[in-house]
Amino acid sequence: MFFDLALNISLAALVLGLAYRLWRWLTTSIGPDSRNYTPIERLSASLKGLGRALASRRALPMLAALLLDGLLQRRSLGHSRWAWAAHMLIFWGMLGLIFLHALGPLIVPSFTATLNPWLFLRNLFGAMLLAGALMAMWRRLRTPGLRRTTHWADRAVLGLLALLVLSGFALEGAKIISVHSFDSMIEEYGTLSEDGERAALGQVWREQYGVVFPQGQVPPGLELMEQGLELHNDSCVDCHDRPQWAFVSWPLSRLLAPLAAWLEAVRAALWLYYLHFLAAFAGLALLPFSKLLHIFTGPLLLTIRAAGSREAMDPAARALVRALELDVCTHCGACSVHCSVAEALRHVPNLSVLPSEKLLALGRLARGTAGHDEALDVMRQGAYLCTSCLRCTRLCPVGINLQDLWFAMKDDLAEMGYGPPVREVAKRADETAGDSRNLVPIHLGHSEFPRELGLTVQAETFRGCYRCATCSNSCPVVFSYDDPVKELDMLPHQIMHSLGLGLSEEAMGARMTWYCLTCYRCQEACPQGVKVADVLYELRNLAAARQGQGESC
Amino acid sequence: MTYALFLGCKIPYYVPHYETATRRVLGDLGVKLVDLEFPCCGYPMRHLYFRSYLLSAARGLALAEARGLDITTPCKCCFGALKRAQKFLADKPELMAEVNAELAADGLNYQGKVVVKHILQVLHDDVGLAELGRRVVRPYELLRAAILYGCHAVRPSEVTHFDDPSNLHLIDDLVKVTGATPVPWAGRLSCCGAPVRERNEDLALATIRKRLSEARDAKADILVIACAYSQMQAEWAYSLAGPPPQREFIEGPVLYPQLLGLAMGLSAQEVALERNTPNGEYLLSFLKRD
Repeated sequence: MFFDLALNISLAALVLGLAYRLWRWLTTSIGPDSRNYTPIERLSASLKGLGRALASRRALPMLAALLLDGLLQRRSLGHSRWAWAAHMLIFWGMLGLIFLHALGPLIVPSFTATLNPWLFLRNLFGAMLLAGALMAMWRRLRTPGLRRTTHWADRAVLGLLALLVLSGFALEGAKIISVHSFDSMIEEYGTLSEDGERAALGQVWREQYGVVFPQGQVPPGLELMEQGLELHNDSCVDCHDRPQWAFVSWPLSRLLAPLAAWLEAVRAALWLYYLHFLAAFAGLALLPFSKLLHIFTGPLLLTIRAAGSREAMDPAARALVRALELDVCTHCGACSVHCSVAEALRHVPNLSVLPSEKLLALGRLARGTAGHDEALDVMRQGAYLCTSCLRCTRLCPVGINLQDLWFAMKDDLAEMGYGPPVREVAKRADETAGDSRNLVPIHLGHSEFPRELGLTVQAETFRGCYRCATCSNSCPVVFSYDDPVKELDMLPHQIMHSLGLGLSEEAMGARMTWYCLTCYRCQEACPQGVKVADVLYELRNLAAARQGQGESC
Repeated sequence: MTYALFLGCKIPYYVPHYETATRRVLGDLGVKLVDLEFPCCGYPMRHLYFRSYLLSAARGLALAEARGLDITTPCKCCFGALKRAQKFLADKPELMAEVNAELAADGLNYQGKVVVKHILQVLHDDVGLAELGRRVVRPYELLRAAILYGCHAVRPSEVTHFDDPSNLHLIDDLVKVTGATPVPWAGRLSCCGAPVRERNEDLALATIRKRLSEARDAKADILVIACAYSQMQAEWAYSLAGPPPQREFIEGPVLYPQLLGLAMGLSAQEVALERNTPNGEYLLSFLKRD
């Protein structure tokens, strides 16, 4: 009764959760080009596209993707062989257990869980799942690149899987030694006529099946074995293979044997039974609300991927796929472990530099829960530190086109007024410089400033400037404007000279500092050895640091 | 001749034809390329995040050093960024110590041993012009080439050591060996505009457009490029320029390994000419006919 109620509740949560997710795929927009499509348009474009692909020659690659990338998880080999092994163990172990617990009794006539091969297989699949979950946990704890992106949800899912298997093994172990189980089986299936027969059967089950009887119930010797075996063959053997085949639960039952009386008294087997099925149903109910959802969405996306390129996709269908991709991510961390710009994290403590975390940020952005300006600033920094090197997209085991999402994210951010950080820093530096620029005469200040320019050894070289303007005369930026002083605020030689005067804000705010092409003509030409281009680089760094947009040290 | 190939971040997505041609041509010439999982060279981070730039570059250098390999890169900006980082670290021992302390977390260490070369230096100095001359089986005829030398390879010369700064000839030599004729033109040593694209798109576009017009004014048939960013810039300008008849530019940008590969007898597909914007197959019409 309670079992059925719990099952039905979890199934209802599953169905409602899936419907909710589907609704999100139809309504969440990523990138300005995804908006303006109704849910109906998205759905019909996607179904049409899928239908067309299945009817074409693309069907074969789609099937191959489903088998190789879905069932055999070929793509995760590109990330790590250990990750692949762990996930294969979890995936096939889980699939086997689902078959044995839910589908086997429906499909196989005369299915009996306590007979081989099922008895053995149940332990095998359980051991696989447990080993996979432990490997995954170990990797998350031990791999530095993975540890920093591991969230409580990642641990919770692995913990739930481990709980599921461990409670199953414990339940089986407790039942092996349980006299209560022995008696209820006699009651249900046995045809014993007298009390002596229970003792006889008890001797067989004690010796061969590991039941632990309290003292006095079953005589300690073996004198009743012959009679017991006869009863056993009549009533039990058809449904029970030796529990030693349960190669995990059997040794566990031997460990539990000394506690048998206590376990029986607290009805441990019953509680373990509740724990076991509730853990399973919790997994079922949480599936649409957690990364477990990738069980469904992963193969779907891998198949869609094989149907054609993202560029060729109908924009309405692309809108749906992008939203779907947010829910395919398993947060496995492959992208972040291999990210080209992960080193930046050491000095720019912003986790959304890493693809796996940036995807979470994108989810908040797309659902309008990104929050305040500061959060958007952080997102912008992550989005623009990305070099679009494509590595994460090539690696993603579930085939998310992250590159496409990053471009769409930048477009969304730009629309909200969050373009490249470097432009924002330049703008703020310009505003800061604006006031003093209009003062005549200019007030000198910030005598501390030259000391801040110390990132590199040549920072001090600006002191050698004697305003010959060779740098400005060799600068292609200067020659790109009709009235360079007006459009660039200061020319390179003026910036170098003003540094000597301590006019830091004017130098940082000058548009010249930000429009520098870094072609190094100035530096190459300077007769005084002033490292003009490198000093301009440092000025940009310094402006960012002063605005709190730069590095933390 | 074995090098770790530092492909850089832009080539895989934006300029895959560069990778195809580079691997094929260098492979055919006996240069063995080893793929390591390099991080970003740090160049794009340098404007705002100097330490991140330095650390990322140093990580790449240390990875190659750990394998006892020297680095070669097809990208002039990766080349410049790595060379610059080497100089920064060599000049300031305390910076080197700090960076190494950070690298130590991943069991890495940079000692300054690794040599960084652009692929053109490998072709010019390691493979050699004589060998290239032998391998060119199908030289170009009447092909006038405007060479874009590439700022971050050439300057600051005291850091990059790409070529003789008072008499740049390295790319000219490499172009001549294919039978093409380098033409004198205004933009030879100028900037393509890529570095400022994020900060000032108009200036970036005006800069590359100026280069393309200058090359046309010099009556060049092609623009020879050997940098991921310059190629992206040129292709960007062409993609905005509309169909060919209205163009005010020359025929198109070609990556040096593509130019060389065709002359070595490789097919257009083998050097991925069809991936260029505009399609680079017009180059075939300049090859000498038997």
